[in-house]
Amino acid sequence: MSAHVAHPTDVPRVDGAPDQPGTRGMMTRLGWRSTRLPDVKLLMWVFLASDCMMFGALIGTYLAYHNRSLVPPFPVDVFDIPLTTVSSFVLLVSSFLMVLALHALRIDDIPKFRLWTFGVALFGSIFLGFQVYEFVHFVNAGLSIHHNLFGTTFFVLTGTHGIHVAVGVLWLLGFLIQSYVRPTSSKDAVYLEIAGLYWHFVDIVWIVIFTVVYLVEFV
Amino acid sequence: MAKGNNGAVGTYILIVLILGVITYVEFAIVEYPQAWLGQTWTMVLLAALSVVKFLLVVLFFMHLKGDDRMYSGFFSSGMVIALATFIAMTAMFILPRAMNYGEARERAAALEGHAGEHGEVHVPEDVAALIETDGASRPLAERADAPPPLDRSVTIEPPLAAGDEPAYEVTGAAEQAAAPSEPAGADAPAEAEDAAAAQRPETEAPGLQAEPEAAEAEESAGEDAAAAAQPVEWDRDMGAQVYNANCVGCHQGAGQGIPGAFPPLAGHAAEVHAEGGREYLVQVLLFGLQGPIQVEGMSYNGLMPAWAHLSDDQIANVLNHVIVEFGDEPAGFVPYTAADVAGHRGDGLSPAAVLEVRDQLGLN
Repeated sequence: MSAHVAHPTDVPRVDGAPDQPGTRGMMTRLGWRSTRLPDVKLLMWVFLASDCMMFGALIGTYLAYHNRSLVPPFPVDVFDIPLTTVSSFVLLVSSFLMVLALHALRIDDIPKFRLWTFGVALFGSIFLGFQVYEFVHFVNAGLSIHHNLFGTTFFVLTGTHGIHVAVGVLWLLGFLIQSYVRPTSSKDAVYLEIAGLYWHFVDIVWIVIFTVVYLVEFV
Repeated sequence: MAKGNNGAVGTYILIVLILGVITYVEFAIVEYPQAWLGQTWTMVLLAALSVVKFLLVVLFFMHLKGDDRMYSGFFSSGMVIALATFIAMTAMFILPRAMNYGEARERAAALEGHAGEHGEVHVPEDVAALIETDGASRPLAERADAPPPLDRSVTIEPPLAAGDEPAYEVTGAAEQAAAPSEPAGADAPAEAEDAAAAQRPETEAPGLQAEPEAAEAEESAGEDAAAAAQPVEWDRDMGAQVYNANCVGCHQGAGQGIPGAFPPLAGHAAEVHAEGGREYLVQVLLFGLQGPIQVEGMSYNGLMPAWAHLSDDQIANVLNHVIVEFGDEPAGFVPYTAADVAGHRGDGLSPAAVLEVRDQLGLN
């Protein structure tokens, strides 16, 4: 994650090169670019779109096998809605801290950027702690990944989400450590922004899982 | 940032407060159900709240609102494909079940209306099963209370009193003639059961309501060559067809199974049948089998699904197929009939209870 890789916002356009009417591109010293958008950010959105499809398939699979387990425990036996609500709050707050961190970096407020970024990683870790607690509780209740269809689809779905959260925590901690190693400024904001996009995406996936997997079970 | 610094932070605070309130409302709806809302509207409301949260995060935290449209375009294309996948899966797996259920209810209602005129209700078994289970794998009442399925493997119905007609026809006319000639009297039921147990001490299996009759049927079939002289015809084509449509994926073309994953049927099924597992085999097909088993020195710990949705004929014929076609036909084998299968549909075993039946047969 170098701060010195050129992206369009860094690369000044060639003097005198006119905008091409009817196109979104511009001429830079690195050549013609068809968009004025930072590549990394566009790439992150494309990745998130593909991640949507994966989680869509996983949630669809969970629902397709819903109520088809032959042996207990069934979802209503093991789910703890108050606990899951608290962990949903934790993830929401981490999302909030994420936008604060990005905002602080954009205005070059480095101490606050470090504080909020640490806060995101901390709340993400708390969420993971809830998940580990939940998984251990489920396994103790006899629900393992190969126990029944509910166990298989549930652990694959929420486990994949948990891995996403863990990757996000490591990513943000790396960003935080890097800010002590080399100077970090608002010029790096786009890199924190894509980490933030990833983090918010993990949050919205949980919003869907919380409703579809946990809440609807008790209606 | 289009807004000033304080304005942007103010927006974030407002959004996170709204998100928090929505999350609490979702929790409250589920934890303290509102009767006036009804189940359908609760679902709709939860879905709507979830969509609102989703949009708030995407638009304000991820800045799609006001950001370049190309980002929205890429993300939306992914969302559309994800939703299409989701809808396709719903159409394939979830809707058919719901529709089956609705259809079953209509048929039952029509039958009841019909019965009102004629004073007799006859609900076909497949319809009754669908109604009972709501089209799902577990009965409604169990899903409501969510206790583990009752272990009914030790429930033994009183044997038929002398003079009562058997609930179903066992194999042929010879047994029918033999049944009423059993000793009658107050103790007849107990005697009949003791006799059956004594005749086949190793094969005593609980939960077999019709065991005395079935045992007797086998006995007379084995003893009386004249009675068994006319072999019971069974539909070999149907057996092969059902096997190839349902079983071949795991147990393989010649019934050899896959070592360590799916047990072999060739030879093993005939052996189980010979060791008193005639009813057990029917129960495996009707209710499935789950848990550790030993077959030919190899351990298996998997799940045989229940095949109760197949017809009595199909199950009987596929059992005959498995026992007869994958090796030499066992001597004195009396093919299963639809009636053999029908008699066990009411046993109500769980896959784990079937495993206990297997253990009691001494097959592990």
